[in-house]
Amino acid sequence: MPRSQFISPEEVRQSGFIKFQDIPVNQYNKTIKEEKANYSTDDFMRIYRDMVYIREFETMLNLVKTTGGYNDVEYNYPGPAHLSIGQEASAVGQAYLLDEDDYIFGSHRSHGEIIAKGLSAIYKLSDEELLKIMREYWGGSTFAVVEKANPNASVKELAIDFLLYGALAEIFGRVTGFNLGMGGSMHAFFLPFGIYPNNAIVGGSGPIAAGAALFKKVNRKKGVVIANLGDGSMGCGPVWESLNFAAMEQYRELWDDEFKGGLPIIFNFFNNFYGMGGQTFGETMGYRELARVAAGVAANQMHVERIDGYDPLAVIDAYRRKLPVITEQNDGPVFLDVITYRFSGHSPSDASSYRTKEELDAWLAADPIILYKQKLVDAKVADEAAFAAIDEEVKTKMFKIYKLAIDMESSPRADLNSNPNFIGDMMFSNERVEKFDDRPCDVLIPKEENPRVQQIQKKVRVGIEDGKPVSKARVFQLRDGLFEAILDKFYTDPTLVAYGEDNRDWGGAFAVYRGLTESLPYHRFFNAPISEAAIAGSAVGYGLCGGRVIAELMYCDFLGRAGDEVFNQMSKWQSMSGGLLKMPVVLRVSVGSKYGAQHSQDWTSLCAHIPGLKVVFPVTPYDAKGLMNAALAGTDPVVFFESQRLYDVGELFHPEGVPEGYYEVPIGEPDIKRPGKDITILTIGATLYRALDAAKILEEKWGLSAEVIDARTIVPFNYEKVLESVQKTGRIVLSSDACERGSHLKDMAQTISELAFDYLDAPPVVVGARNWITPAHEFEEYFFPQPEWIIDAIHEKILPLDGHTATTNWTKNEQLRRQKYGV
Amino acid sequence: MATPIIMPRQGISVETCIITEWHKKKGDRVEAGDILFSYETDKASFEEEAKESGVLLEIFFDADQEVPVLTPVGVIGEPGEDITPFLPENMAPGPAVEAAPDAPAVAGTDADADTAGGAADAAAGPDAAEQVPPVQEAQTLAAEELKISPRARNLAGKHHVDVRYAVPTGPEGRIIERDIHKLIETGPKVTAAAEAEYTALAQPVAGTGIGGRVTTKDLHQAAAGAAVGATAGTPGEVTAGGPQIPAAIEYQDQPLSNIRKLIAKAMHQSLANSAQLTLNTSFDATAILEYRKQLKAAQEELGLENITINDLVLFAVARTLVNYPALNAHFLDNTLRVFKNVHLGIAVDTDRGLMVPTLFDANLKSLNQLAQQAKRLISQAKAGSINPDELQGGTFTVTNLGTLGIESFTPILNPPQTGILGACAIEYKVKPVNGEYVHYPAMTLSLTIDHRAVDGAPAARFLQELKQNLENFPLLLAK
Repeated sequence: MPRSQFISPEEVRQSGFIKFQDIPVNQYNKTIKEEKANYSTDDFMRIYRDMVYIREFETMLNLVKTTGGYNDVEYNYPGPAHLSIGQEASAVGQAYLLDEDDYIFGSHRSHGEIIAKGLSAIYKLSDEELLKIMREYWGGSTFAVVEKANPNASVKELAIDFLLYGALAEIFGRVTGFNLGMGGSMHAFFLPFGIYPNNAIVGGSGPIAAGAALFKKVNRKKGVVIANLGDGSMGCGPVWESLNFAAMEQYRELWDDEFKGGLPIIFNFFNNFYGMGGQTFGETMGYRELARVAAGVAANQMHVERIDGYDPLAVIDAYRRKLPVITEQNDGPVFLDVITYRFSGHSPSDASSYRTKEELDAWLAADPIILYKQKLVDAKVADEAAFAAIDEEVKTKMFKIYKLAIDMESSPRADLNSNPNFIGDMMFSNERVEKFDDRPCDVLIPKEENPRVQQIQKKVRVGIEDGKPVSKARVFQLRDGLFEAILDKFYTDPTLVAYGEDNRDWGGAFAVYRGLTESLPYHRFFNAPISEAAIAGSAVGYGLCGGRVIAELMYCDFLGRAGDEVFNQMSKWQSMSGGLLKMPVVLRVSVGSKYGAQHSQDWTSLCAHIPGLKVVFPVTPYDAKGLMNAALAGTDPVVFFESQRLYDVGELFHPEGVPEGYYEVPIGEPDIKRPGKDITILTIGATLYRALDAAKILEEKWGLSAEVIDARTIVPFNYEKVLESVQKTGRIVLSSDACERGSHLKDMAQTISELAFDYLDAPPVVVGARNWITPAHEFEEYFFPQPEWIIDAIHEKILPLDGHTATTNWTKNEQLRRQKYGV
Repeated sequence: MATPIIMPRQGISVETCIITEWHKKKGDRVEAGDILFSYETDKASFEEEAKESGVLLEIFFDADQEVPVLTPVGVIGEPGEDITPFLPENMAPGPAVEAAPDAPAVAGTDADADTAGGAADAAAGPDAAEQVPPVQEAQTLAAEELKISPRARNLAGKHHVDVRYAVPTGPEGRIIERDIHKLIETGPKVTAAAEAEYTALAQPVAGTGIGGRVTTKDLHQAAAGAAVGATAGTPGEVTAGGPQIPAAIEYQDQPLSNIRKLIAKAMHQSLANSAQLTLNTSFDATAILEYRKQLKAAQEELGLENITINDLVLFAVARTLVNYPALNAHFLDNTLRVFKNVHLGIAVDTDRGLMVPTLFDANLKSLNQLAQQAKRLISQAKAGSINPDELQGGTFTVTNLGTLGIESFTPILNPPQTGILGACAIEYKVKPVNGEYVHYPAMTLSLTIDHRAVDGAPAARFLQELKQNLENFPLLLAK
């Protein structure tokens, strides 16, 4: 909602037509003779060789999967193999002009892209650079295997061995693979050659690649980002979201001159006409030609073209023309519809029941490798024997690499017997990085001149003054605590960016960001489209490239819209990379209230269930600031829950007030908010305040002293304090606003039962919200845990209280009835 | 070399023991054979001797602590030796120590000799006024049925109180921590036998039993006193005509303790799950009274045990029962387990409640051996030092209410046994002899059988043969 842009009724109500430009389709038509100006004989032959490398690599895997071996050497590989036999020209053509500063992100069918990009990088890098890369990668352990097997080879030869071996060992789950065997076939990557993570989720690379492009733009990095997607992914919402996210007009209209222009990204669709078995041409999609989609995304039609991906020179030609659109004209993103075809099935189990033999034969007759060779022979670039020599060289090398990669001695798997924490240790990087770059931070005004900073200076940093609550207008609120931490990091880490819906100008729907607009230029703080998948997914791409990011989902309930990005991407890339990648992403998630069934849910439990996410939920100004500081100092993804009930609360637990300076609250440590000795109440989130009310009633009516513990963090969680408390009190109630069934509190209750069983006077009891829709605000007392519920639970399940009559039903029969009916 | 002191296992059913007292301190020099410490199981107390000489280097468990059997409780060695290998957490319980005696083989040699004078009958005959199930069964049930929080159980263990006496106030009848605190403070120091009556009392009664526990005797004395007080102090109101309905019926709901619930359940189950039938007869006791007189006279000369009337009855039962296998048996679901020898349960009233020690192979014993063994079992049961393994395995039970003047009663079976014999008081009856009524001492025998296992006629034949044997005791001895 920039005030600088005027939406005029006169203009927008005028009649007229939206005009589209023609989209070029297979316009490349140069002969080899003409292309001799662009390519030496070596170049022509190298293109052929690279295609043959891919063909042989994939053929080898196909034979292993279908015949249990390769060249009569047996090997059993039970994992996935999504092969790209037939698509070699598209991959090699794409990689030809790219260098190591250009990042490719791929899909489950990306072996070919890895090999093509790697071979292209090897050709361009000097021997010294290559040796340095190979010797430094995993301390040289991958390189040592190929060096030992081929001691007299040249550096380039070794580098090719290294590339093929690193990828294959990764596919076979060996610790000498590019990602220690933790990524496997669909996820292998190698950053030093610009090969970025490949994704097993269809379209998963779309938002991530957009985030990487954002990283390059904001941090002034060289190179472009290629999102390699399949035609099937055009049916995925997150892909559409990332197309728009990359093409937002604000890059041209609102960002500072230096940053003007769309994101430096090429959405490269390898269009093989099938999304698994669903035919995207004529069956499952409506676009008829995939390229048509781009014309609707942006006024520049994303410079879209349809390219013949069966001719490597046509693809190279397209890249030769499109790369400068980004690097010179700053007019990304670019959209390429590269038609191609896979001879192999979707996977080895695919019987190709969805296509005819005639169709397959027709494409086999157009085999890009054979046709390309024939053209070169016809143009007298080389004779058949030269190509046969290349075929032989490739086959020999592939067989050697195959034997090396299946050899358990030189290529062992990670030893989880001797190191049972091998994978566990990779789930989080647990590092502290104050800033990811030393350059000055791009800000508009000095921090102390920020209007919000000046406003906060007038506030009272404690919630109670002279025994009385400080008024909302004067008190330093939880939202102020978040703001202070975030603003501080914006002035410390130049890579930090923040975005989400209604962030700029509005200051966030809940005014946490009020004042940030005044301090920050657009390229560090901007409004995202209503595209939760793109918001969360681009943050993943930004983070794994080495930048810090705060992404915001306005309501927790919108987490479902970003399900894949949070649960499959943000959480997994650190460990799937074997620990190479960091994920310094803070995902702010606000738990609503008063807004009904789709705007009031606490989904901490969903996040806690997914390995690889840190999950925090502070509910006091002190903890909010301290935990935000800790989250912004780390290198792990933190899902940062906030409660809309509490943005305006003052600090009630630290009588000295919320410190003005920097401090951290360690992630993973619960906090005793009220000491006691008779019963423990452990809460997650805003329920803390209702638990404190219950504690007061217990004290006044029954003389029971309740110890109230605020979990603050859900993952990780140090149980020591809780166990100590339970050992003392022997009783515990756990409460949060999450629906009771499957609540993480159940997990905690179970852990406490196991670890403190002998100290328990009653089973731990969970008081959660009902397993219903969240009703209208007027009914919330029937839905969310109330102080009386906690007291009823104690009375009925733990410690009968003299003279108390429960108002809620805690009987066994009722419990069974609810379970039986799933409510 | 340092040697661990291992908590022995007193019987295979014992899992933990409580150290009651250390007789040596850490640092004391001890000789093999010195008493190191006293300890007890839930049913009996013991003393542990040093097996090695040396210095008591360490004590791992203080008095009143509960110790799993076969766990090291201390170390004997020379100063400076490493004791860490013997720390309880470092040592898994070893299989070597097996202190359980082979119960049937042990002859009772340590019987109390305090049964002087004419108290012989009383000493041998249980004086319980109630038929409660044997304590061991109550405890088995307790382990399965008792609802108690882990915390409360731990607290009870630490304070050495019997959780069965706790009155549960937790949800769903669970004993929780506060119930144990209450038990520790006010604890029903009351025997199992007296417990039910005790809880019904409005006024507490001072206990004279072990540890100040209230026994049935205390209750009866108190009741007698109260009755006197009532007649003397509060004359009843005299009313005339019309229905007299009080404005409010006064009562108090007293929650049942677990032990009472268990007794109730066991009683009900015994009656509900078997077909009990009681047969009464009486026999002329002239012969056994005469025979006992002879034994008493010759006691010192022959070095005999003080043989009581009850011993004579036990002897006769054991010798007669071998001819009636269906009565020396366990009635199981689909089988009748018939025992080769008679393992006679003897009901004994103790301060800890009714106990039924087992006299193994009773039919193979001489009268003197049987009397010795019975004496030992009774006195150990009363003292609480009986081996728990001697509290199980009975095949038939004899109970005696004769000393309380009971003329006939219906004993309740101790499942899965198929028979229980009650011996009653000796009273004088008359019978016609040569046209004249003569009086003679008669004792009633009340036999309860499980009709599922045995029919009335064979049971009657058993009683008949028993009666003949008792009336012709010298002939029985000759058999």
